[in-house]
Amino acid sequence: MIAALGHTSILLAFLAALVGIASPLIAARFEPERFRAVARYSIFGQFALVTLAAAALIYGLIATDFSIKYVAFNTTRATPIYYRVTGLWGALEGSLLLWEWILIIFAGIVAWVYRKRHHEMMPWVVMIFSIVSAFFLGVIGFLSNPFETVSPIPLDGRGLNPLLEDANMMTHPPLLYTGFVGLTVPFAFAMAALIVGKVDEAWITTTRRWTIIAWFFLTAGNLVGAWWSYHVLGWGGYWAWDPVENAAFMPWLPATAFLHSVQVQERRRMLKVWNLSLIIVAFSLTIFGTFLTRSGIISSIHAFSSGPVGGFFLGFLAFVLLGSFGLLAYRADMLKEQPELDSMVSRESALLLNNIVLVSALFTIFLGTIFPLLSEAVAGVQVSVGAPYFNSVTVPLFLFLVFLMGVGPIIAWRRASWDNLKRSFLCPAIAALLLGLGLFAWKIRDFLPILGFTLMAFVAFTIIYDTALALRARKRIAGEGIIRGLVTLTRRNQRRYGGFIVHLGVVLIMMGIAGSMSYSLEKEATLALKQNLQIGNYRIQFEGLKGSQQPTHFRVEGAFRVIHNGNDEGIMSPALKFFPIQQSPVGRAVHQSSLGEDIYLILSGFSELDRNQATLKVLVRPLVIWMWIGGFVIAFGTLICILPMKTTQLSDT
Amino acid sequence: MSKGKRFLIGGVIILGALSYMIYGGMQEALVYFKMPSELRAEEKSLQGKFVRMGGMVVKGSLQKDLQNLTYRFQLTDGSTAFPVYFKGVPPDLFVEGKGAVVEGRVGSDGVFQATMIMAKHAEDYSPHADGNSPNKSFVPAKEAGAK
Repeated sequence: MIAALGHTSILLAFLAALVGIASPLIAARFEPERFRAVARYSIFGQFALVTLAAAALIYGLIATDFSIKYVAFNTTRATPIYYRVTGLWGALEGSLLLWEWILIIFAGIVAWVYRKRHHEMMPWVVMIFSIVSAFFLGVIGFLSNPFETVSPIPLDGRGLNPLLEDANMMTHPPLLYTGFVGLTVPFAFAMAALIVGKVDEAWITTTRRWTIIAWFFLTAGNLVGAWWSYHVLGWGGYWAWDPVENAAFMPWLPATAFLHSVQVQERRRMLKVWNLSLIIVAFSLTIFGTFLTRSGIISSIHAFSSGPVGGFFLGFLAFVLLGSFGLLAYRADMLKEQPELDSMVSRESALLLNNIVLVSALFTIFLGTIFPLLSEAVAGVQVSVGAPYFNSVTVPLFLFLVFLMGVGPIIAWRRASWDNLKRSFLCPAIAALLLGLGLFAWKIRDFLPILGFTLMAFVAFTIIYDTALALRARKRIAGEGIIRGLVTLTRRNQRRYGGFIVHLGVVLIMMGIAGSMSYSLEKEATLALKQNLQIGNYRIQFEGLKGSQQPTHFRVEGAFRVIHNGNDEGIMSPALKFFPIQQSPVGRAVHQSSLGEDIYLILSGFSELDRNQATLKVLVRPLVIWMWIGGFVIAFGTLICILPMKTTQLSDT
Repeated sequence: MSKGKRFLIGGVIILGALSYMIYGGMQEALVYFKMPSELRAEEKSLQGKFVRMGGMVVKGSLQKDLQNLTYRFQLTDGSTAFPVYFKGVPPDLFVEGKGAVVEGRVGSDGVFQATMIMAKHAEDYSPHADGNSPNKSFVPAKEAGAK
């Protein structure tokens, strides 16, 4: 029943999507007015139908309707209700449906918000959305159907992968998908602009907020993924340069580049082709990422079972690339540019360099990710590209990016004079250098970390200094105090100050990465009862093992007393969980965070319960917590950028 | 110098620097995957280089010292059994008679000095035939007390 309802909705939505593709084409030839509305209604129709299908699957999961194969594979009767719902994205079929659902929600909102504006472009925007939607609906409806039924109906389901039973898994995939799908909005407007032949800045200003929102979700999705890896996977790290992590990270790079380079186009009417290319690349990478993770050509925790789906994604990717770059070539004569860079020392050139660095990082990561595939396909040689490759190439790039982050937002447009440079940068640079010297004198003696921390301080100081100068001006002009002045400044230029806050957040994340990459300690040992392990300023004492039967698994927990600098900080209890359906136990690492460092305990093995012996791995990772704090700072900054405020700027709609 | 020329030179410098970094990074981090017999054959040329070797853990070859966390065993591809030394904690799926991949270097004594062991996982999530009943598959690691 539910299955039939769901599947029928998908098939009908597929038809609606085809109407959405056809009607703008017909409208272009015959009757514009009537068909314009048809295109819009096709989106609303898809929205209603896909929502119905998603609701059907969610209902099936909650009601544990095991006649649906997908439900039987991803829930059990014992699964708590919230993990039944997250089963929606626990496997391939459901996650495709979630993707499509988010896509059509975005499309619906766009079609509604701009129902009375952009008369010329909107039918084409709707068509682009419908093409993407039709592709996903086709895959869901005909290839990878989440509503497939199973007979005889099993008594109980199989359940989610235990690693996915975690609160972060409730947020990580939807956040990431929202980020991916959000990039469809600027992409659709860009394509529509090319089709219509209006290649000015209109599509950029219209989609600016959408792009910032998509970028934020991409950032948050990646960060929550890193947090999940750190928190749940139990290896003490947050990023392994796994192909799937790279697949999620890669679209972030051109999206970030795009957010910066559009400012050059808005201000100076330059980089039109470049911006269009960036958004095409960013959108294509979201499809490529899905291909990489869903085709089974690489193995990873994220890679669901293989099937024909991968080939279709590759085909669609080729179609997207050919279609969009084809359009770009077709409109090439409209995209000729007049203005040129006036000086290498200017805002434009800083933003340009930012783009070069981000695209270089993208190329590096892309190459490292697909190299094993290429090598095996072309030369038949099995290789893997280790994390050192990614680190050794991207660390210098990102350090340079930090430097640009300090310079870019402050330096003058067109041509920065010597006076301008001296006024904006002399004090922050001296302060940062002093701080660097201080760190050196304290105990940080390695080149890269000290360079990194100095540059990060430079960014923070330029932002603080610039804001302080602006506040002083407010005081002089209007007699405003600090708080009042900050409010006025932010209201007058929310993108600038929101951007500052986002940059500070990025600096905090970089700080966390630099600290934990450079100064982590790691030790493992087998401990008998009351035995100690010494690591850094910590002494870890083994206090015993405890076993307990949990609803879904059997849990063995080790108790370890943590003594930091002689202070007893209490017991930490890493555990191993034994799930009936899994061959091997799942580790449950624990960690305690402080602003300075994290202590991270992993139980890697134990004797039989009465023997009281445990093998423990301990990590001390400095500054990790700043990555998560940085994430919240970025969220706040993004909010400042997109909140509708009374401003003197032109509204962007 | 004209503007176009300057941009060209800048571009070439940037591309060159990036290629150099990528090439250097690859040299450092490219890890070849070898079977035990291949590795034995190319031992001389690969000595000191980071490689991965995959094979089956020879039954009866595993010697563990749990106090010092050292493991000695052999990996085989059917024709060659390659001795491996490892210090650390192997993954849970690492057992005799099952597949494993080790990463590390071949020492001058012909023993593979592994820095990491990866047990071969089943790549999908489906339960294994012997894993269906809750009690059978609950097998706490007995190793710590066994020897």
